[in-house]
Order: sequence, then C-alpha cells, then structure tokens
Amino acid sequence: MPQLNPAPWFAILVFSWLVFLTVIPPKVLAHTFPNDPTLQSTEKPKTEPWTWPWH
Amino acid sequence: MTLSFFDQFMSPTYLGIPLIALALSLPWILYPKPTTRWLNNRLITLQGWFINRFTQQIFQPLSLGGHKWAALLASLMLFLITLNMLGLLPYTFTPTTQLSLNMAFAVPLWLATVIIGMRNQPTHALGHLLPEGTPAPLIPVLIIIETISLFIRPLALGVRLTANLTAGHLLIQLIATAAFVLLPLMPTVAILTAVLLFLLTLLEIAVAMIQAYVFVLLLSLYLQENV
Repeated sequence: MPQLNPAPWFAILVFSWLVFLTVIPPKVLAHTFPNDPTLQSTEKPKTEPWTWPWH
Repeated sequence: MTLSFFDQFMSPTYLGIPLIALALSLPWILYPKPTTRWLNNRLITLQGWFINRFTQQIFQPLSLGGHKWAALLASLMLFLITLNMLGLLPYTFTPTTQLSLNMAFAVPLWLATVIIGMRNQPTHALGHLLPEGTPAPLIPVLIIIETISLFIRPLALGVRLTANLTAGHLLIQLIATAAFVLLPLMPTVAILTAVLLFLLTLLEIAVAMIQAYVFVLLLSLYLQENV
C-alpha cells in the first residue's frame, strides 16, 4: 500500500500542520457574530393578554 | 509499469511539485476571509452559519475549560471536511487518504487531551481507567484493558479516517472501471453498474462529511473526559 511508504511521512506531517495552523484559524476567527451567547434560563417570559384592535 | 488500483494513493508529483502540497494549500481559496461589513455575501453567511452551529453543537456538552479548544476544533472540522469533499471530484488527490496525515493530527491532539487531564486533574483522569461498579477480582484485568483502549484511541482515530476514505475511493475506481469495461460487451449491465456508481458516489459524499465530523466529535469527547 503506497500510504505505508515512510518516505514522505515527516514532510506531510510538517506541511499539513503548517497549513492547519497558519492558514485556517485566521479565516475561521474572522467570522464574527452579532449576538453574545446567553445562558438559557428556564423561566418563560410572562405574556399578558392584550386588547389591541386589529383595525 | 502496470498500474494497480492502489496507485491512486501514491503521493504524486507533477513537474517536480508534490501534488499533496497543492491539495493542501489550494482549497482555502474557497473560504474568503470576511471583512468588517455587517451584511456579508451568501457564501460568507453560509460558512459563518456552519461554523457557528458546528461549534455550538460540539461544545455544548463541554465544561468551560474545554471551550478554549473551539478555534482549534472548528479549524480541524473545516480542514477535514473540505479535503474529504474535494477529493470526490475526479482527478483530485485526497490528502486524508494518507495515513501519515491522519496520524499526524490524531496523535498530537489525543496526546494533548491526555496531558491536560493528567496535569490538571490526575485523579479524575486516571479514574476513567476503572468503570464504576466493577467487581473486585476483575479490577486488575479491567485496568489493563482500559489502558490498552486508551492507547488505541489515536491509532483508531487515524486509521478510521484513512480506511474509510481509501476504501471509498477504491470502490469508486473499481466500479467505474467495471462500468467502462462492460460498456462494449454488455451495455445493460454497464448501465446498471453506472447506476450503482451514482449511488456509491452519494454514499461517499455522506461518508466524507460524517467521517470528518466523527473525528472531531471523538476528540471533543476525549477532551470532555479530561477537562
């Protein structure tokens, strides 16, 4: 099986980690999201009945 | 030199450039870096949505100490799923079929989770070696078994990804060869084989996504045990 050929193992290791550490995280971290995550609370907000006329 | 079916996995070179270098560096063109605009284009919106939902899904069961790994695991997921999916296109090389690459990621990341567990909470980390409620005579045997299964984890992680992708690519090549060879001889059978090839390609698309997800999910589970 050609994958078991040990010759390029170290080169592949170094190169793939290089790409993984330098190229991808800046692209991932540049995605910003407008809302902060909030802890979910179990209370539901109280809704009061309203009598707004539709017309 | 006669080609065997395994030759598609040899690290090919073209004009002196190893193609694995191109396969590892070029796919990131598909992920443009978002600017500071509030409203982005569709591509960036979709990618941002995917990263956000994926991070939420993976890190929800983790305690806060593990959330430091969010950037790393999101990057790893993008890395693996892109390489897997692009490899399904004809005449592309899939770097994740190389055992060297998968072990290069599995071993250091697994080792990092183990070392974090051992440094910060050694008793808790070692406690995973003995399941609760084990009968007393079985304790030594079970500790040995659990230690072996702990050390097999990086091997399993790397080999799982390699084997799944290699087997998929090999099957695609075999069935495509069969369909091609059968075309002048038995056209009906060749068409049936082509339908099989189509279904197999759909399966391989699913496998590509699932295997990337499983890799990252298992790493997050190992992290969860140690954090």
